[in-house]
Amino acid sequence: MAASTTRGKYVISSHSQEPAQEPGDPDERLVFLINEGKHLFPNEYYPLWETACGKLSHAGYGALIPLSYARHSPKLVKILNSETAINFAATVSLAAIKVNRAAAELLPKAAVIAAHELKSTQAFTSWVTTIEELIYNAPESLLAVLERTQKIVSTLTPDQFRTWVLTGLRSTGDDALRQINYFSFTDPESEKWFRHEAGDVVFTDLDRRLKLYLLSLWSLRPPIRDLPASTSPLSLRRISISNGVVRVPEVFPGFHGEQAEKIFRAGLAHVGAHLVYSTKIFPLGELKPIQVALVSLLEDARVEYLAIQTFPGLRKLWQQFHVAKPSGPKLVPLLLSRLARALIDKEYKDKDGWVQKGRDMFFDPQNDMTDPAMCRSIGVLLGNDLGQLRAQFNAKTYVVEPAYRDDNMGLWDFGDQQGQEEDSDGIFIEAMRMDREEVEDDSSSEQEQDQKENDEDEQQYHARESTDSEQRESEVAVRYPEYDYLTGSERPNWTCVLEYFPDFGDAYKIERILEKHNNLVNRITKLIQTAKVSLPERLHRQSVGESLDLDACVNAVISRRMGDTPDPRIYSTTERKHRDLSVMVLLDISNSTNDKVQVSGTSVLELEIQATSLLAYAMSELNDPFAISAFCSDGKEDVHYYRIKDFNSPYDTRARAHLAGLHGKLSTRMGAAMRHATEDLVAQRTHRRLLLVISDGEPSDIDVDDQQYLVEDARKVVRSISRLGIDTFCVGLDAGGDNYLHKIFGRKNVAVIDKLEHLPEKLPLLYLRLTA
Amino acid sequence: MNLDDYLITEEPYYSPTHNEIQLFEAAYANRMPMMLKGPTGCGKTRFVEYIAWKLKKPLITVSCHEDMTASDLVGRYLLDAEGTVWHDGPLTLAVRHGAICYLDEIVEARQDTSVVIHSLTDDRRILSLEKKNEVIKANKDFQIVISYNPGYQSVLKDLKESTKQRFGAIDFDYPKAEDEAKIIAHESGIDTKTAAKLVQISERSRNLKGHGLDEGASTRMLIYAAQLMSKGIPLEEACEVALVLPITDDLDIRNALSSAIEACA
Ligand SMILES: Nc1ncnc2c1ncn2[C@@H]1O[C@H](COP(=O)(O)OP(=O)(O)OP(=O)(O)O)[C@@H](O)[C@H]1O
Ligand SMILES: [Mg+2]
Repeated sequence: MAASTTRGKYVISSHSQEPAQEPGDPDERLVFLINEGKHLFPNEYYPLWETACGKLSHAGYGALIPLSYARHSPKLVKILNSETAINFAATVSLAAIKVNRAAAELLPKAAVIAAHELKSTQAFTSWVTTIEELIYNAPESLLAVLERTQKIVSTLTPDQFRTWVLTGLRSTGDDALRQINYFSFTDPESEKWFRHEAGDVVFTDLDRRLKLYLLSLWSLRPPIRDLPASTSPLSLRRISISNGVVRVPEVFPGFHGEQAEKIFRAGLAHVGAHLVYSTKIFPLGELKPIQVALVSLLEDARVEYLAIQTFPGLRKLWQQFHVAKPSGPKLVPLLLSRLARALIDKEYKDKDGWVQKGRDMFFDPQNDMTDPAMCRSIGVLLGNDLGQLRAQFNAKTYVVEPAYRDDNMGLWDFGDQQGQEEDSDGIFIEAMRMDREEVEDDSSSEQEQDQKENDEDEQQYHARESTDSEQRESEVAVRYPEYDYLTGSERPNWTCVLEYFPDFGDAYKIERILEKHNNLVNRITKLIQTAKVSLPERLHRQSVGESLDLDACVNAVISRRMGDTPDPRIYSTTERKHRDLSVMVLLDISNSTNDKVQVSGTSVLELEIQATSLLAYAMSELNDPFAISAFCSDGKEDVHYYRIKDFNSPYDTRARAHLAGLHGKLSTRMGAAMRHATEDLVAQRTHRRLLLVISDGEPSDIDVDDQQYLVEDARKVVRSISRLGIDTFCVGLDAGGDNYLHKIFGRKNVAVIDKLEHLPEKLPLLYLRLTA
Repeated sequence: MNLDDYLITEEPYYSPTHNEIQLFEAAYANRMPMMLKGPTGCGKTRFVEYIAWKLKKPLITVSCHEDMTASDLVGRYLLDAEGTVWHDGPLTLAVRHGAICYLDEIVEARQDTSVVIHSLTDDRRILSLEKKNEVIKANKDFQIVISYNPGYQSVLKDLKESTKQRFGAIDFDYPKAEDEAKIIAHESGIDTKTAAKLVQISERSRNLKGHGLDEGASTRMLIYAAQLMSKGIPLEEACEVALVLPITDDLDIRNALSSAIEACA
């Protein structure tokens, strides 16, 4: 037997274990292995396998590839079946042609590992399919993936593997270097999505509910960022607070399912307690690292103690993660964990003198629990005690326990004396300092941005209005999921919509459009005016109608009895009386809108601006609430969004100047923009709400090759918007891309026009749909 | 006709939040039309009942709805065996015989109803019954009170400026924490400590107002939760039933709220 199988994990056999000794010459060795195969393949399949080996060896791939196949593929017979083992030669050949020899040589070996984990032929086949997809789309990365076969197949199902691969291809586009980074797990995104697929709870999944949790408990809304899982040299990462920005690890390794959600919640509750009760920052002074660690630990206990006074349930949440035992070697990190437990767990008993002392000092009734200073004085004393015990403390390897607690870097003022001490104590401080700076680097600007994001939530339109027109950088950044039709699911937080301040153009341009098309303006206004979009109302006393109006009937009878002529209007009917409709006009201003429209000779964008001017005029005349935004995109991380007019701002010169100032650039990530526009619409309290997209067709973006991908995402958005009770309609300019538009919005919800004059003809279609 | 049926004989339990009782009495002394503003379930209805009892005046309450017309307020002719009889509506009753007329959520009613009250809410204090060809001078005890939830109306369904400006207004909000706890304890029979816990929980939900919730949990919801608890349901479950589930369908908000409730427990 060539394969050595131990129960559970499969060990790739080393050659020396094989019974008969192999010849040294590669050609002879191949003959030898093919011979060996005779015992492993059933008679009817052996010739087929022999042929497959022969083909590989005559294809000019060199000696190693056929050898590898001949050595490993027979093992597939036992785990799976002969056919699969033989067919697999085609995949090896494909890898040899499309990728390189090294990858093709490794492939049979990886296949055996995969087969062992996956066990079924069906699962193995779908693993192979994904490998082939990689061969076609990211050949340079194949080797990296094959090298990690054990990790991959032991964690992910073949479907999850495929989704993870697709995610990689989606996020790296055509860029081979980025692909390799992803598939070799150098790119932190890779690990994150890997865990996501593996069903691990990642912070992204809980982001929203945990933020709401903090808000609910303490009215706190600190900016929260996730900390990529594999950027850290330490495998154990902790939450970190610095400059008011909270960084949360993407995963807590080892915590799954409900436990994972709990540790994230415990962590954020702990952050909340710090933000509320850690009112002062400790100066570092002359403290030794062990003292710093102790003061931090005591401060953790103090803020938790105070929080529990208000929210007793938090004790349970935190305490479950304190699992230190009152026994074992007296190593400093263990003693610290025991002290931490002693300070929160009333039932916990510990005979150690130092732990007891710490507990007694902490709970001394003389202490003012509201003052962080107590932690400093106790921490310094306890630290000295440990020093006298000659217990070793390695600051470099120390991590805060339990895992839900933050690294406490935010509690300390490191001052400005950088890199002075060179003794061993200094390294810890130095390490802390570096750590902090690394985080600080980008956090200050992010914090500002986050602050703005938060303010934005509060609908500070005026803040926005007062921003300098020169200011070009983005003010708001919001992440949205995107739908992948290949996997049939949404990837959370996949794209980022950034709001940019729109340019100013000549507001009079809009006036001139209106003047020039005076006729159209009137027609459109009339048209909209007659469209009644509202809840049906009951109309009484009608001369015709579908039901009797009881009041009117009684009155009629009464009139007759009194000898008067009865009023014949005794029916009631229902009718829509007015328009109760908000409209969000979303303009596609991608580069393609600079193209000329065949019929009218103006650019698509020009036509968009004209159509929008007419509609906006009509809607503002009729007092319909409406907003105008525009979008384009530059890859998934930078979807531009421009607010021309908000629902709660007037349609004034400023708005018109923004409208006139639009220019076409970049690409068309339509789904993300629609998701962002919907946020505003959702808040509108009208009977009907409409997202009116004006576009020239096909969604596309620079980082997307697959034409269908963004179309399907946009389609998905339209469907999910309609579930919110919001209508979508698209005005397609120029006929070119209308196929895509039909696909996204549905045939009935698209009106294609190639001349402004056609707008009034097509609009009734829209309003008819809404009143139906 | 006698409005004794509309007199409130037993003192309703009402715990004042500010000086609203004093303010209202002063307004009543002048028969000033009053508007009670405030979120749902914060005690407006209870307050009117209490005031009516205190002033020893009958109280006629009308809950307004979308299909309500002026005749529903004013009255109409009805048929009987001999011929036709006029039947006074609730507003006319109050005007004729002197009662406090409380129109709950008047914006819900059709536009023509608010016009009816115009002549009653300026110094004429008259109600004209056009169909009956009668003009009634309001009884000296008559007063009109309306309730109004700011923020729930769309632009189309707001009170007209000419209507709004005919009223004095008192702003209601959820009572202060200790008061609210006392109210809950009184209404449900649970002890004040548990009631205080419920109030603490309601603050958790009120923190989410504007971030996915239109309104935090009302006093009424808390009383429901307390009533469940008085029948032996544990706190977290009672809150789930009376508070978390009714208030939102958003799963993340539910999760955040339930976890916050756990923290309070
Ligand atoms: N100040 C208070 N004193 C006594 N009970 C109160 C008080 N505030 C609220 N309540 C209690 O809250 C419950 C709800 O109050 P009420 O029905 O008066 O609300 P409301 O403001 O009229 O609500 P809505 O606008 O939905 O009609 C009452 O049944 C009462 O038990
Ligand atoms: Mg901490």
